[in-house]
Amino acid sequence: MSVNVLVPPLSQTMDTLVIVEWLKKIGDPVTKGETLFTVETDKATLEVESPATGILSSVLAGAGDEVKVRSIIGIIAEPGEAFEEALTSVDNSLNENYPPGAPPSTDRQQTINVAGPKGEPLPPERINRLFASPRARQLAQLKGIPLVELRGSGTGPRQLIVERDVNAYIERQKSRPRVTPVARRMAEMTGVDLSKVAPAKPGTAITKADVETSLHEGSGAPASAQSSFQAIRLTPTRKTIARRMHESHQITAPVTYMREVDATRLVKLRERILEKLSEDAIRPTYTDFLVYITCRVLSKHPALNAYFDGETVELHDAVHMALAVDTARGLMAPVIRDADSKGVEELARIRGDLIDRTLKGTVTPNELAGGTFTITNLGALGIDHFTPILNPPQVAILGIGRIREIPAVHKGKIRIRSVMGLSLTCDHRVIDGAPAARFLLDICNLIESPDLVWL
Amino acid sequence: MAKMTIAEALRQAIREEMQRDERVFCIGEDIGIEGGFGGAFTVTLGLSQEFGHERILDTPISETAIAGVAIGSAIGGMRPIADVQYSDFLFCMMDQLVNQAAKLRYMSGGTLSVPMVMRAPVGATARGSQHAQSPEAFFTHVPGLKIVAPATAYDAKGLLKSAVRDDNPVLVFEHKLLYGSKGARSEKGSLSPIGEVPEEEYLVPIGEGVIRRPGKDVTIVATLLMLYRALSAAESLSNQGIEAEVIDPRTLVPLDKELILGSVRKTGRLLIVEEDNLTNGWGAEIAAIVADEAFMWLDAPIKRVAAPDVPPPFAPVLEREYVPSEQKIIDAVLSIF
Repeated sequence: MSVNVLVPPLSQTMDTLVIVEWLKKIGDPVTKGETLFTVETDKATLEVESPATGILSSVLAGAGDEVKVRSIIGIIAEPGEAFEEALTSVDNSLNENYPPGAPPSTDRQQTINVAGPKGEPLPPERINRLFASPRARQLAQLKGIPLVELRGSGTGPRQLIVERDVNAYIERQKSRPRVTPVARRMAEMTGVDLSKVAPAKPGTAITKADVETSLHEGSGAPASAQSSFQAIRLTPTRKTIARRMHESHQITAPVTYMREVDATRLVKLRERILEKLSEDAIRPTYTDFLVYITCRVLSKHPALNAYFDGETVELHDAVHMALAVDTARGLMAPVIRDADSKGVEELARIRGDLIDRTLKGTVTPNELAGGTFTITNLGALGIDHFTPILNPPQVAILGIGRIREIPAVHKGKIRIRSVMGLSLTCDHRVIDGAPAARFLLDICNLIESPDLVWL
Repeated sequence: MAKMTIAEALRQAIREEMQRDERVFCIGEDIGIEGGFGGAFTVTLGLSQEFGHERILDTPISETAIAGVAIGSAIGGMRPIADVQYSDFLFCMMDQLVNQAAKLRYMSGGTLSVPMVMRAPVGATARGSQHAQSPEAFFTHVPGLKIVAPATAYDAKGLLKSAVRDDNPVLVFEHKLLYGSKGARSEKGSLSPIGEVPEEEYLVPIGEGVIRRPGKDVTIVATLLMLYRALSAAESLSNQGIEAEVIDPRTLVPLDKELILGSVRKTGRLLIVEEDNLTNGWGAEIAAIVADEAFMWLDAPIKRVAAPDVPPPFAPVLEREYVPSEQKIIDAVLSIF
């Protein structure tokens, strides 16, 4: 069965997109998930993944064409499926756009429309839910079959898992030998494909010994040896991180602006301050200086100290600075309240305590919420530049790279200078390129000339 | 058993009821006039010779007069069978039917009753928007009215006799293409389903549906002409390995919902076919009932095939596209497999 390539509703405001280029040509094999073509929205060029694995058998719109959202612009045929057949099977709906939720009934390979009201994106847990008919769910529950085992076998309308899928599964299970729990666990750990293992005596269960034999004989060994893996269930924290990261990339339009800045004078300033501090005093890190500098600059760029919910921009008077912290449980971002009203020393003290408790896991949920801007520092790990992911509804995040000494041109001569990489990600839905660059420029000015904070 | 058309079966039902009960009389336009057709579709042909013009009452061309006499005489103890030439004209009587006939039993605390029958032909037969509608759904929305829609000669006779004996107003919707009317009143494209009708007296109870064709894969609910298209579609689908169960509700109010729910529990799929416009038809009500009471048994979305939401067109080629066809029914069924 062929699968239609549809133009995804990438932009909330536009009904049409422009195709920039196809990365595959007719006849090319494609894999589900790999980039198939790129499109241009009102502001950005975005990659679109292939909806299926197969052969790109037809392309109905080329580079430069303006195409309607949800229209069919290509067809992916199953390997071996005749292209002509794929083409005729879609002929009826050619150039006809799918109204939301109502694909033409002649098209048996229907896609699930994943847009909410007014095209708003749905949360991932709605999109990734199992689509099964009530009847199939009832039968599966009755027979104790986890529906997730039937994922992808949906043969019903709109690729629903229907009763016959459940029945087919039951039939498959019947024809399969039983497996002892120990053998099952061993197979999972060694990556042995149980469907390729036969019990020693026909009609009996597959035992640990059978799995071992299979492992030693290497029946289907190359595959099973390579596919050895460990399955790790995500912790709730990790799941939250995964969901939030994915959501962020789904709902924002992130653009990262990178530049290098001469931090020599900031390094010297910090050294001078540290000299004056007593042994037991809290020693400000570069993060503390950058929090301080960022707060100063944010006061001149309120648009970046803001929330955006897709409709309204909310500008904040105070800066509540979130700091990305790498913990054993995963990424956390504790918040320094009213960071803009604090000096470097106080920032250092609060930051030290906050990060300490974040690492220990005793930080309160309250302290993890309410940030208006985020700073993330990977400098200690040798990173110069990266593309920080926004923390919605925040509209900007500043990534700090390492400070390293390089030979640089300074006042017409080659000198050893300390330079630092900065990576600023802004949500292009509300922050255009120039304002983002101006903000970053002001940050750099203060790093290059820390004296200017007095202005 | 005698074989007869629906028009003949209806005529026999009227004759028997008039012979049985002196209070029964017919009223309508040109239903008993000498040299006339016997109503628009021959149902009352010859009855005026048999019963006289006092019991086969011709009226001027005034639907409000027909409704007024029928409802008033029913309140007064008579058992009128009113004949409407085209069901489209029921809209002229809307106040009398909805505000009077349907409500008087309730408003009088049960002291009044309106044992009236009103017969009305439905269906698009190349007569344009005002003589082609299938307005059953309008009246299913009115509490106090019973709605029947017989599709066979057996049901036509049995249901009409039950309607005459019912103490509440009953609307009997008949299909122009199913009468089997002969001569000048024969409609082009008629199906003329001739059915067996027992010699002995029988009644078909109001509120009981029937399975016209058993099947295990999908339930199709249809009335009148659509029932026959659904049955043809079911035969084609059978060749493709899909066994459709075709249900004829026969009565729309009160609806035999248990029959439909039971069938859906068996098949897991439901298609409703209506000749009326799609939006807010009686099919929507059946879909809602099944979604509510048999949700767990559904294996696919509920589908409806109906006329598009425009008035019936006059041009025959457009009308053919407008009225749900066998192919549209087949396509809708295939779309849920």
